Amino acid sequence: MIKLPRPLLPLALGALLTLALTSCSSLVQRLDVIGAGSAASFDAALRAAPENVAPDERHGGWSLSAPDGSARFIWSEDYSKSPLYDVMLEFDAAPFLDAGLDPDKLPAGVVYSDGKLITGTKLGDIEPRYQGEATPLSSYEQIVRLYGGAVGYHAALDHYGVSLGGGNLFEWAKDLSANDKDIVFALAPEPWIAAGVDPSAVAGWTLAQVTVHANGKPAEVDKLLKPFDLA
Amino acid sequence: MDNDTRENLTKIEPVPAAAGGGLTIPVGGMSCAACAQRVERAIRKLDGVASASVNYATEKATVIYDPSKVRAAAIKAAIEKAGYKALSNTGIGAADEDRARKQKEIRVMWTKFIISAVFSLPLLYIARAPMITFVRLPFPALLDPMRYPLIYGLAELALVLPVIGVGYKFYTVGFTALWRRAPNMDSLIAIGTTSAVVYSVYNIFQIATGGFMAVDFLYFETAGVIITLILLGKSLEAVSKGRTNEAIKKLMGLAPKTATIIVDGEEKEIPIDDVEIGDIVAVRPGGKIPVDGVVLAGHTAIDESMLTGESMPVDKTEGSKVYAATINTTGAVRFKAEKIGADTALARIIQLVEDAQGSKAPIAALADKVSGVFVPIVCAIAAAAGIAWFIGTRDLSFALTIFISVLVIACPCALGLATPTAIMVGTGKGAENGILIKGGEALETAHKVNIIVFDKTGTITEGKPSVTDVLPAAAMPADSLLRLTASAENASEHPLGQAIVLGARAKGLELLPATDFVSITGRGIEARIDGRGVLAGNRQLMDERGISLGSLAADSDRLSGEGKTPMYVAVDGALAGIVAVADVMKPSSRAAIESLHKMGVEVAMITGDNQKTADWVARQVGIDRVLAEVLPGDKSSEVRKLQAEGNKVAMVGDGINDAPALAQADIGVAIGSGTDVAMESADIVLMRSDLMDVPTALQLSKRTIRNIKQNLFWAFGYNTIGIPLAAGVLYLLGGPLLNPIFAAAAMSLSSVSVLTNALRLKRFKPSR
Repeated sequence: MIKLPRPLLPLALGALLTLALTSCSSLVQRLDVIGAGSAASFDAALRAAPENVAPDERHGGWSLSAPDGSARFIWSEDYSKSPLYDVMLEFDAAPFLDAGLDPDKLPAGVVYSDGKLITGTKLGDIEPRYQGEATPLSSYEQIVRLYGGAVGYHAALDHYGVSLGGGNLFEWAKDLSANDKDIVFALAPEPWIAAGVDPSAVAGWTLAQVTVHANGKPAEVDKLLKPFDLA
Repeated sequence: MDNDTRENLTKIEPVPAAAGGGLTIPVGGMSCAACAQRVERAIRKLDGVASASVNYATEKATVIYDPSKVRAAAIKAAIEKAGYKALSNTGIGAADEDRARKQKEIRVMWTKFIISAVFSLPLLYIARAPMITFVRLPFPALLDPMRYPLIYGLAELALVLPVIGVGYKFYTVGFTALWRRAPNMDSLIAIGTTSAVVYSVYNIFQIATGGFMAVDFLYFETAGVIITLILLGKSLEAVSKGRTNEAIKKLMGLAPKTATIIVDGEEKEIPIDDVEIGDIVAVRPGGKIPVDGVVLAGHTAIDESMLTGESMPVDKTEGSKVYAATINTTGAVRFKAEKIGADTALARIIQLVEDAQGSKAPIAALADKVSGVFVPIVCAIAAAAGIAWFIGTRDLSFALTIFISVLVIACPCALGLATPTAIMVGTGKGAENGILIKGGEALETAHKVNIIVFDKTGTITEGKPSVTDVLPAAAMPADSLLRLTASAENASEHPLGQAIVLGARAKGLELLPATDFVSITGRGIEARIDGRGVLAGNRQLMDERGISLGSLAADSDRLSGEGKTPMYVAVDGALAGIVAVADVMKPSSRAAIESLHKMGVEVAMITGDNQKTADWVARQVGIDRVLAEVLPGDKSSEVRKLQAEGNKVAMVGDGINDAPALAQADIGVAIGSGTDVAMESADIVLMRSDLMDVPTALQLSKRTIRNIKQNLFWAFGYNTIGIPLAAGVLYLLGGPLLNPIFAAAAMSLSSVSVLTNALRLKRFKPSR
């Protein structure tokens, strides 16, 4: 039988305890600094432009609109019941059509509706439990709690963000007061290029190289961006 | 085994650890050659200590001191004060304890390594798997560093803590040494890994307070893997060190644990330690002889190969000496215990080999000097490189990587192991072959020898007269002449007479009864056999009796010219023939000298014989240079003359008159038939009388020194290449940067490779 050296025993037990504790969901929530930070700054973003926040009955959730109304970030109130997606972007179709989009070759998962294009993802079908009335913030917090993997931090822009699948993102500044891009709608350009879009010609959108963190290393990727300053 | 070799077993004396007071103390807690240097310095500081030598490989301090000025307890206290453990050591029992302690150390080391690896492998996986792009490795989402950086960091911390716990000694020893301003290898590891851990903990705080990207600057896995790899290296090192000392272990394992003594006519089994001098010991066939003694009753053959290398069992009868650890093969014997405990031949051989293994070769001096100053210099280089890179890049993380890499790669343990391990294996291998090399210095000097001077009598020759020629004068058959002469000489005590008797017996000739035996001093003998008067003696005796040599006169002159002694035999007043007696060559002499020639060694012979006789002997065996007519007292001056010609001289001899020459020579080799004085004067003791062991000793020396040079080359080369590489010199020039983990692996492998190279010596086989 292997005998543990005396000083090792408490350390080993401590380590195992720590690992066990980190598996505990409540503790995970407390240690989820990105989740907690993203919720706080999302709340700040919502408070910065309350007029742009509204319930979205069509999709069963809430929306945060760009100041010019050209795009919206929509998130569900009850992910078990979302008719289309749980989180999505809705934006004007015209600039993309003008830039060469073939309406018959829409990228996979993109829906055209009433002059708008919608792309997003289903996060899951767990029924969220709200303490009290559901609010835009509490619905977002359900994303953090139930589908934390969809939330992330973008170091290059000091943004939090929600992954919408396929490389599409909605991001907001960690600190609105220190950032001139308070919210950013981001699309992966490749599917659009495949659908005939000239990404450099999409009005209101900017094709840019963005540094993202992949596999522990920074990497440059192309994104179509639509940033806004809420302040 | 011949009688001379058996005699030799009683004459092996341990190399005294000191002229005044000598002490060998096992030292615990040394982690590198720098530690050995520190212990040496601590002991040498004591008033009354003449010298101190600490061998990192054997983990023993050999101290020569004046007991009137300093006590052993004070020496041990000095070792303890320096931060190490002075362990107990007395005799073979302590050697067993030492072995048990080392076995335990190996077990603990492996346990630590296994525990460390159990935590380090997942730590390494967590740290590195997200970076692997060519294959998607399974990874828990909860530990995604980009999503849950704090959990990720804390998980790494949780995994590294047990590893640090396992390696706590690196910190206690390393920081203590640093505090005493005498940093060692543990200090390098402690500083390096602590820097990594502290910086990583700081970054966890950064993550917790919103600086999420600090997750890219966690170095817990660096610390964990470094400790694990070094524990692996230490474990392998401990195992290898144990293997280098197998020769001693084998010898110690030979000693039986119990003895059967006769008490009031009854056999009683008692522990070996309870046997006292004078006890009557009984040994049955198949049993081991427990202590040295003299046979009182019984007849048997004893296998003494474990002590002498001779494979043939040796007949033992009443009065024969028997030796501890040898095996009784055929008959039951009872013997009186004469030497017990540390005085037995086995204990003395063990002591001699242990002393040799604990000694240092001059070639080790350079390694010792470098090791002593190496660690502080490395600390300085690491700090300078780290600061320079920080100034150049403003990247603290990068600078820290450089700092840690330099500290970790520069451990000088390979340097400290290079020489002693090879000496341990070399001297151990010598002992296995019946060649006792008394120290590292002898081993080193032996490979430089370019001329070997052999004493003639007893070295090149058997040292005992024997019948060489039987020349009948008339029609008498040679065997009849020999039988008649031997029958007449049977009552003689003269060595030449005894040689003739032995010669006849060796031919199976039955001796005839002799009457009226008369010994004529200085001339010969006279006796009557079968009614005939037999006269045997020198020429003077024949002349005095008026007996003509006739046609044998010419043969007589020829025999004298060949260094032989003609014994004239007359029967009833007429010459019957000549029986010549001479000291014959050893069977191995010619082959040994040929072997030395092949090695490019000049061979000389030194003798008191006249030039003509000496030249004849030299021609028989192929000697290059003859130093004849040398008086016993002048042998050492002849050796000195050869040294003055710029030669490295080895002297091979056995007699008491060889002792000054053995001492004068650069290497004194005492062969098996030697005396106590010759043994003590010699640097190398050959247990057997086989001269082939002389070239074997030189071959072993050359192989060992070559091995040491290889080890030193790799150890020095490794650090010479490793430090600039770790300091980022190649990176500066557009090349790769050494990761601290690879630095730790390389450092551990360097020690293991040096040990493995030393262990190659175990494959040494004498070329005969």
